[in-house]
Amino acid sequence: MRIASSMIYDSGVAAMQKQTAAMLHTQQQVSSGKRMLSPSDDPLAAARALEVSQSSANNNQTLSNQKAAAESLGLVENSLASVGDLIQSVRTLAVQAGNAALTDNDRRSIAADMRQNFTELLGLANAADSAGQYQFSGYMGATKPFSGSVESGVAYAGDDGQRLMQVSSSRQIAASDSGNDIFMRMRNGNGTFVTTATNTNTGAGIIDAGATLDPSKWNTAANSKNFTLRFAVNNAVLPPVTTYDIVDNVSGNSLLTGAAPGAAPYPRVYQPGQAINFKSQGAEPVFDFGAQLTVNGQPANGDSFSVQASSSQSVFTTITNLINALETSNSSSANATLLANRLGNALTNLDQASNNILTVRASVGSRMNELDLLTNVGQDLNLQYQQSLSNLQDLDYAAAITKLTQQQTTLDAAQKSFMKVTGLSLFNFI
Amino acid sequence: MGTSIFNIGVSGLNTAQTGLLTTGHNISNATTPGFNRQQTIQSTNTPQFTGAGFIGQGSNVQTIQRIYNQYLSSQLMSAQTRLSELDAYSAEIKQVDNLLGDPSVGVSTAMNDFNAGVNAVSANPASMPARQAMLSSAQALVGRFQTLDARFNEIRDGVDSQLQSTVSAINSYATQISELNQRIVLAQANGSTQPANDLLDQRDQLISELNKQVRVTTVPQSDGTYNVFVGSGQPLVVGAQPFVLTAIPSREDPSRLTLGVALPGGGQAGLPESLITGGELGGLLSFRSASLDPAQNALGRIATALAMSFNDQHRLGQDLTGAMGGVFFNAPTPQVIFPNSPANAGTASISAAVSSVGGLTTSDYRLTANGGGNFTLTRLSDNVNVFTGVALPQTVDGLNISLTSGAAVAGDSFLIQPTRYGANGIGVAITDPRSIAAAAPIRTSAALTNTGTASVSPGSVNAPPPPNVNLTQPVTITFNNPPTTFNVVGIGTGNPINVAYTTGGNITYNGWTLQISGAPGVADVFTVSASPAGVADNRNAFKLAGLQTKGIIAGGSATLQGAYSQLVSDVGNKTREIEVTNTAQVNILKQSQDAQQSLSGVNLDEEAANLLRYQQAFQASGKLIEIASKLFDTVLSLGR
Repeated sequence: MRIASSMIYDSGVAAMQKQTAAMLHTQQQVSSGKRMLSPSDDPLAAARALEVSQSSANNNQTLSNQKAAAESLGLVENSLASVGDLIQSVRTLAVQAGNAALTDNDRRSIAADMRQNFTELLGLANAADSAGQYQFSGYMGATKPFSGSVESGVAYAGDDGQRLMQVSSSRQIAASDSGNDIFMRMRNGNGTFVTTATNTNTGAGIIDAGATLDPSKWNTAANSKNFTLRFAVNNAVLPPVTTYDIVDNVSGNSLLTGAAPGAAPYPRVYQPGQAINFKSQGAEPVFDFGAQLTVNGQPANGDSFSVQASSSQSVFTTITNLINALETSNSSSANATLLANRLGNALTNLDQASNNILTVRASVGSRMNELDLLTNVGQDLNLQYQQSLSNLQDLDYAAAITKLTQQQTTLDAAQKSFMKVTGLSLFNFI
Repeated sequence: MGTSIFNIGVSGLNTAQTGLLTTGHNISNATTPGFNRQQTIQSTNTPQFTGAGFIGQGSNVQTIQRIYNQYLSSQLMSAQTRLSELDAYSAEIKQVDNLLGDPSVGVSTAMNDFNAGVNAVSANPASMPARQAMLSSAQALVGRFQTLDARFNEIRDGVDSQLQSTVSAINSYATQISELNQRIVLAQANGSTQPANDLLDQRDQLISELNKQVRVTTVPQSDGTYNVFVGSGQPLVVGAQPFVLTAIPSREDPSRLTLGVALPGGGQAGLPESLITGGELGGLLSFRSASLDPAQNALGRIATALAMSFNDQHRLGQDLTGAMGGVFFNAPTPQVIFPNSPANAGTASISAAVSSVGGLTTSDYRLTANGGGNFTLTRLSDNVNVFTGVALPQTVDGLNISLTSGAAVAGDSFLIQPTRYGANGIGVAITDPRSIAAAAPIRTSAALTNTGTASVSPGSVNAPPPPNVNLTQPVTITFNNPPTTFNVVGIGTGNPINVAYTTGGNITYNGWTLQISGAPGVADVFTVSASPAGVADNRNAFKLAGLQTKGIIAGGSATLQGAYSQLVSDVGNKTREIEVTNTAQVNILKQSQDAQQSLSGVNLDEEAANLLRYQQAFQASGKLIEIASKLFDTVLSLGR
């Protein structure tokens, strides 16, 4: 092939330029530590790196959401712990008040303690976070959720809102609980039904909270969940015979006869401490509501107790009832029985409240636990993202330095050979 | 006899001298661009016939030939014009590539920051600092969009000014070529048939330079001139007559420069851009239509989608003052561009609005009137007719196109750019942090007296905005006996009774949806009411934060960030492709150059050898004359 002199120069310069450009690229890679100086160096990896850094940013976002949720739940947990302690102390006071040796004055001083607890509880329920937002008012953070007193009762001004937080790509966690759920929405009685002694009872019958043996039977359609337990005492015989009837307040019929309640004596014979089953016995019309309760002591003729489905009762109402019961003078034995019944009732409800607080606390605790786990996972994930990003973007220094040295050698060779080749000319010899 | 020897000697001297001149010319032009080496073509003089046969009469130079191969030259030009095109394309797209790859300019980080701001409000909806931070990050994001868009426009302006300078270079070359055409005709018509080698070289060089600007075709004429055409036969030079190209505003989109040609009778006609290929001009035009427009549209689409989807959710919420959320971003709107000079014959006024962000493409559209009130819409990215010959309004590709007034005449056309100005048009509409609608306007509640265990979901406002007028009307849902059905009471609900209850099923009235799940009791009551004091409510902020990971672009297949990485990847891939093609083209050019230079280039060693050769030939011819002189002396001395 014929070679033009210009070709020697042109290709020599072009080769050197190419080498210099490649070397500059490598040098820039080395000085920036990045494999890709612009997306075109590796478009696939560049787009992937963007995606990974977005995932990483999202992950960081969920991590900070987790932190925010954990902080918020931590505050709730703190408040709930105090609330639980407070309810326990009220319960202790209530048990103490049950001591028959106490006088009215003793009970009044216990009631005064309870009033103190009540105010404290109200304060806890109105707890605010560092930003001045009420913790337990649902969505209405600026609205004081609970107001009232022992006398006027406590009303809830908030709503049922729960603040959700996105704590992982697929998990949302409630970072708050509404005051309704914590303080107001508590089932009274044993959670299924509530037993109450009628205020006008004159006997010494004390009813317990009862138990649900089979909730599905309790929930059958035939169950009106509204009964009156009536007692009659026949003093004409010795020993006197006490009988009772269970009257369905909705239909007005006796549960035990299926007809309108008759006069005493009633269908069933009462033995103190013996379980009263809401289930047909003997020749009674067939029914089974899966519940039983016990009345202790001797009711008087005409005494009655009501059994009704549980409804929501706030912890404030429970304590208010307790205070009212304690502040009522109990000079007579009937009053003592009433007090015992009320105390029993209140203890049951306090246990419900305590349970409810524990349930919410357990829920908060499990959420915090989950947050811890998610944080661990998120941090691991972050590490992985960093690693993928590093794999995608970062430079392999060993390889790059080797390449740089190689390019340097090649450029050196190109320059030296260029000088050699261009130095050859026939004109040197003319 | 003696004269003859002298003559032969002199002819040899002359021939050798011409050889030396040509060699000298070659040596001195060794580095002249476009120079083709020249060669003397030597031949014998007509011999003298004698009885002893033909006696040679020395040599003469027949012609001086330039070593030139039309095929190799045109191959070189073709490679050169393609490389210039790729160079221009590459130089431009690298700017976009670097721009998008730079994390301090790209919108990716700004979008993450904004998302962090929204999440912070979601975590602390009542916190003013969090709200202010969200607004600031929104402004930063908008600023980033606008900066990026401004850079795109700078690149666009750069293309325009390069178009102008390219066009004036083309015109200058055309004028020079036409002048050379004239000189070549004169030179070659000078009574001789000898080629005007150096003028031809100059003209070839000019055509080669012109080729770097735009691909041209040349047609040699019998008189030695070249006619030069650009595109599909648009004459640039005919004989000694140059035609003037101009950079004029496009008729379709007056904001962009395109190519025009001056008409003989005055005025200008536009040249279709698709016909211009090769050279810097071709590179610039194809960069603008194949990379810059789609990239800017894609960015605009992200901004439009962000603004509209965020607004849609924001308007379903309630702000800190208890009012329904307004628009958060100023949403960009599609542009309809009416042609100018000549304007449309009809009076039709067309408007376009975004109907769904998911349907938007990154293309521009041309709406053409077919007459009779019918229109055809062409998507310019793939030249597909989206609809043909139908009356407006039409909704396609996420756009609602309607005729606002007037009537179109067949042939009228409108350019629709749905997202071109998206990144420029986005803005933050609110300045008061309290106006961020983080809360939901309704709340649900289960009555405390409920005996069942059913719970009610917080409820959500149905998209799309505007919300139902009765949204915040109090509504009561009361369960019947048995609790398998419920009655609904409230303004706007129509007070339906005995609605069947399914646990967890959607219950939708008045523009909200809620779910009741679990076992309700007889006469259990659930209520829906306004939530004017819900300052700690983050339900809407939560949903706004969710938009970050929601597929809202391209039919729901891409998130905002996903669309952005796709844009980066598209531009990166195109840049890569151009670079690879460019490298290949450099090699092709080098091969063509080598082939051409191998034939036509000057080799100094060769010329040095020729120098020696002609020097010796000259010396030998001199010797011949000396000998002839001696011979003559011999003859003269005979008489002494």
